[in-house]
Amino acid sequence: MNDPLFYARAIHFAASIMVAGVVFFIVFVAEPAFRHTKDDARVAVAVRIRLAWIAWIGLIVALASGVPWLVIVAESMSGQPLGALTSQGILWTVLTQTDFGNDWLLRLVLACALGGLFVHFLSVKGVTSLGLKAVTAVLAAALVGSLAWAGHAIGGQGVEGFVHPAADVLHLIAAAAWAGALVPLAVLLTMTGPHAAGLAAARTATQRFSTLGIVSVAALLLTGTVNAWYLVGSVSALTGTDYGRLLLVKLTLFAGMVGIAAFNWSRLTPRLLQNADATGAQRAWRQLRRNAAIEAAMGALVICIVATLGILPPASHVHEHGRPGAIPADASFQHIHTENGMADVTVEPGHVGVAGVTIHLWDAEENALDAQQLTLTLAPPTAGGNPITRPAVQDSDGLWHVDGIELSQPGNWMVTIDAVLGPGKRLTLAAPIVIDAK
Amino acid sequence: MRTLIFLASIFVVALGMPAARAHAFLDHATPAGGSTVAAPPQELSLSFTQNLEPSFSTVEVTGPSGDRIDQGKPQISGNTMRVGLKASGPGTYHVHWHALSVDTHTTQGSFAFHVGGQ
Repeated sequence: MNDPLFYARAIHFAASIMVAGVVFFIVFVAEPAFRHTKDDARVAVAVRIRLAWIAWIGLIVALASGVPWLVIVAESMSGQPLGALTSQGILWTVLTQTDFGNDWLLRLVLACALGGLFVHFLSVKGVTSLGLKAVTAVLAAALVGSLAWAGHAIGGQGVEGFVHPAADVLHLIAAAAWAGALVPLAVLLTMTGPHAAGLAAARTATQRFSTLGIVSVAALLLTGTVNAWYLVGSVSALTGTDYGRLLLVKLTLFAGMVGIAAFNWSRLTPRLLQNADATGAQRAWRQLRRNAAIEAAMGALVICIVATLGILPPASHVHEHGRPGAIPADASFQHIHTENGMADVTVEPGHVGVAGVTIHLWDAEENALDAQQLTLTLAPPTAGGNPITRPAVQDSDGLWHVDGIELSQPGNWMVTIDAVLGPGKRLTLAAPIVIDAK
Repeated sequence: MRTLIFLASIFVVALGMPAARAHAFLDHATPAGGSTVAAPPQELSLSFTQNLEPSFSTVEVTGPSGDRIDQGKPQISGNTMRVGLKASGPGTYHVHWHALSVDTHTTQGSFAFHVGGQ
């Protein structure tokens, strides 16, 4: 991956999920577990110190990675180079007049507010105030959930405009509550140690984490299904597009994490809870600690995939781009869109000389459109120039081809597609297409 | 485990259902691409499949003479972009739009329509 946006997104997502994961872990798992280990306060203090380090580093990294993310997105939005972003006020326009910028500012405020709360929340004495725990957990959920407004989930019409962002917010919060809390769990299991006093805390923590994990996995599956329905849409798109295939890798990793979690829940946790078998409990503790680290590493890979998925065009409408990944670098491409039908026209090479033209027809419902006959006309930019009209030949994939077209001059050519769909039924599409000089 | 299998099966079934569209692609235009209208339109209206960011979405319209005839910055509300057109004669009009959707992705496209039976 050479795209700096990937690194900025991956680091920012990972840091935000880690911050929220530590907060959820402290509120729902660690502090309740430490109530059972009052006889060994040193363990609780040692765990709290390490969790505080993770939370503070996560918050600082989230803030620091947010800056390059904003700059890269502002460059992409405006099409302007880095220097123009401040000199022409583009950065301010992005921050104040776009959904991404508004969300970025909100998240900056949330991160600063969390930093203020962390001074007391991450105290080595532990947090006892219910109000502080509730407010910190809500702000942490908002910090990670608001990432939904920086992705594919927003901007839909009608019901999608509400359902998709809501599902994505819950998806992100559930991811933080499970994957984000795995590193804190590994830390807690390491610090508690295999001795009897430590095992008491490890037992309670593992039990509570199992409950948190089951609820989170169920939420991830449900909300992930909603996301996939909007962004993938079909089984063929799941296997036939880069977005879909990458999502399959993510699902495979997710299934692996769930498998390990199920093994922990069904086999290791019961052994850990058996007071009678100290040796068995210690062995289960070691395996749980190792499995938490493995799951956390798999979770990090999932976050890297999420960072990439946010950059790729969603599979459900890749064809509307004309499959940008499939367009050769030296080709000219035009997507012609009307209410009666659409065509993706690729001229390769897209410069003066002999070229081939490929045409993909779609109907208004975005299904492949069958035509009995198709004629291509290319009219040169110069007024009075002779248009080139040639019949197209359909291949076994349904694409139409015209080869050996002599493009005599650069400029805005007019491409016209005349398709015979049936008796007395035609579809005519026209649009300019740019042909470069050699 | 049964619950997880049930939820996973929902995922598979959902993928078999028709999907909604995301990203800002042109859904329909008035005048429509490739259409022929009797008189020069006073306004061009473009509807997209997703809401747009007004600050970074533009449209350019050139008339039969090749000169720009759009009246500058378009009005954008939700997923609709409108721009007034200066009076021009019969012939082929070319539209080039550039859309920034609220999910930060840019798209662009072109189409032509005809005025006066050409």
